[in-house]
Amino acid sequence: MPLVEVINVSKEYANGEETIRPLDEVSLNVNEGDYVSLMGASGSGKSTLLNLIAGIDQATSGEIVVADTDITKLARGKLADWRAAHIGYVFQTHNLIPVLTAYENVEMPLLLLPMSASERRKRVEIAMEAVDLTSRASHYPRQMSGGQEQRVGIARAIVSNPTVVVADEPTGSLDDKTTEQILSLLSRINEELGMTLLMVTHDSEAGQRAKRQIRLERGRLMENGKETTSAHLRTA
Amino acid sequence: MFKFIPYVLKSLWRHRARTLLTVSGTAVALLVFCFIGAVQQGLLALTSGGDAGRTLIVFQENRFCPQSSRLPQDYAGDIKKMPGVVDVVPIKVFTNNCRASLDSIVFQGMEPEKIKAWRDFDLQSGDWSSFSGQDDAALVGADVAARRNLSVGDKFTIGDVTVVVRGVFQSPTAADNNLIFTQLEFLQRARGASDVGTVTQLEVHLNDTADPEALAKQIDQTFHAGPVGTTTRTKGMFQADTLADLAELIGFVHWLGYACVGLVLSLVATTTVMAVQDRIKEHAVLQTLGLRPLRVFGLVLTESLLLSTLGGICGVLGSVLLLSMSGMSIAAEGVTIAFEPSLNLAIQGVLVAVLVGVLAGIAPGWQASRTEIVTALRHA
Repeated sequence: MPLVEVINVSKEYANGEETIRPLDEVSLNVNEGDYVSLMGASGSGKSTLLNLIAGIDQATSGEIVVADTDITKLARGKLADWRAAHIGYVFQTHNLIPVLTAYENVEMPLLLLPMSASERRKRVEIAMEAVDLTSRASHYPRQMSGGQEQRVGIARAIVSNPTVVVADEPTGSLDDKTTEQILSLLSRINEELGMTLLMVTHDSEAGQRAKRQIRLERGRLMENGKETTSAHLRTA
Repeated sequence: MFKFIPYVLKSLWRHRARTLLTVSGTAVALLVFCFIGAVQQGLLALTSGGDAGRTLIVFQENRFCPQSSRLPQDYAGDIKKMPGVVDVVPIKVFTNNCRASLDSIVFQGMEPEKIKAWRDFDLQSGDWSSFSGQDDAALVGADVAARRNLSVGDKFTIGDVTVVVRGVFQSPTAADNNLIFTQLEFLQRARGASDVGTVTQLEVHLNDTADPEALAKQIDQTFHAGPVGTTTRTKGMFQADTLADLAELIGFVHWLGYACVGLVLSLVATTTVMAVQDRIKEHAVLQTLGLRPLRVFGLVLTESLLLSTLGGICGVLGSVLLLSMSGMSIAAEGVTIAFEPSLNLAIQGVLVAVLVGVLAGIAPGWQASRTEIVTALRHA
């Protein structure tokens, strides 16, 4: 049973009088422990698909089932609870809360889960250690470099031990050296912690680091040169 | 929600200039609100206090300023014989200013035993025997003493009247703290021999069964044909009539109190809207992490509530300090309205601030909670 099932999902939005359809009945399965990169040209819909899987956008049609929950049927409040429990999101621009320290930023998702303060502390320490930033715990985002901020962002995404970690262009705003560090860190998270990872990138080199590479072309998903239709998924 | 309080506080501190300006604006508005409330409360205490309906004031007919009312003192004996009357207190009033003034000095000349019987106060300094045994002695209300920097042994003069302070008192009736008690005979003689045997007013204390209105009518009818006609009203009505012009002004000023509340509402709402607009992306990030829209609404509401409540508490404390330390009052025609702070007013002020904080946070909170996450994440 796949961990993530995207079944015939379409997304449309209006741009003036024109209707734009970045995703046209796409289907995709992601298994537990997968590391999938979603690649494609700008505007191809890769971030849209990621956002739909992360439950922060609504599909126009189709189903998205993550860990047996059809998230397209959840109301806003329930969807927020579901995100807190199941999704870790790594943003391109880090998006740390500027008034909180690195430690407090990482702790933030745990405040939404039923957990004691000591358990929270333990988990934050483990996550900070995983990204090798224990010494920067009391630093504010403005006191850190872009790479360090992104590592804090990754720690925040993994701290609640989510079902899926999604990363939207996680190296998009970083230099080459830091990009390499972040990609290595993501690989480690997948391999050593066994976390399922979905990464959107326009950088094919970064995409090659994933176990599976999927391309979005004209609203369709292609893997190994073939379209990942729902029929194909069912027979696979 | 309490887990997010540090985040809320840090967010407010991040824009501390804006926060401090909003808090101080709210504090000033609430200070004015409480100040106006204190003036209204002072007026209400005069016109509806415990003895306002059970005590009659006999004044000379068609006279308003205390200086112009000259009743024969022996009217007191005639009134005392009337059924329902417990006691009659002859009072000579002298004031340095008959018009409305913030620094009126009002002397009440009374027989010492009547002061003891009918005025409720504690001597903070000085002693009773040196007051009752000295002709030009005065007992000074705590607020006048503070305003004029008077203490026991001081001699001071207002107009033709020179007295020696022999005691400073504190009364639970706030208006009395703005009075100076002297001996009746002294005040009668102080302004010349023509005042001897006359008083400004007679204070008539009734028993529980007497009908104040009927007795007032009876008193006025009794002296209608006498050398000086009288107008008798309950103490509350007398004070309300005397302060009618001021009461009208105070009634109008209470709208300013509501205007202050409106000002706080718009000030806190504007700050909260600005805070929300500054943090559109941040709220989207929080929702991505799993905060429910209702919780985001709650965070914004808490910010607004904290701003308003903090400002409100500062304003209320400021007004209580100002009112209790300054002992301010306004007097007209010898009747004093004390601006009295009270716990009730302080609670009312804080509750208004809390309510305004909630109201001011609703619209911005709703706006923040309805943020479309993906659109907001693209926000610069």
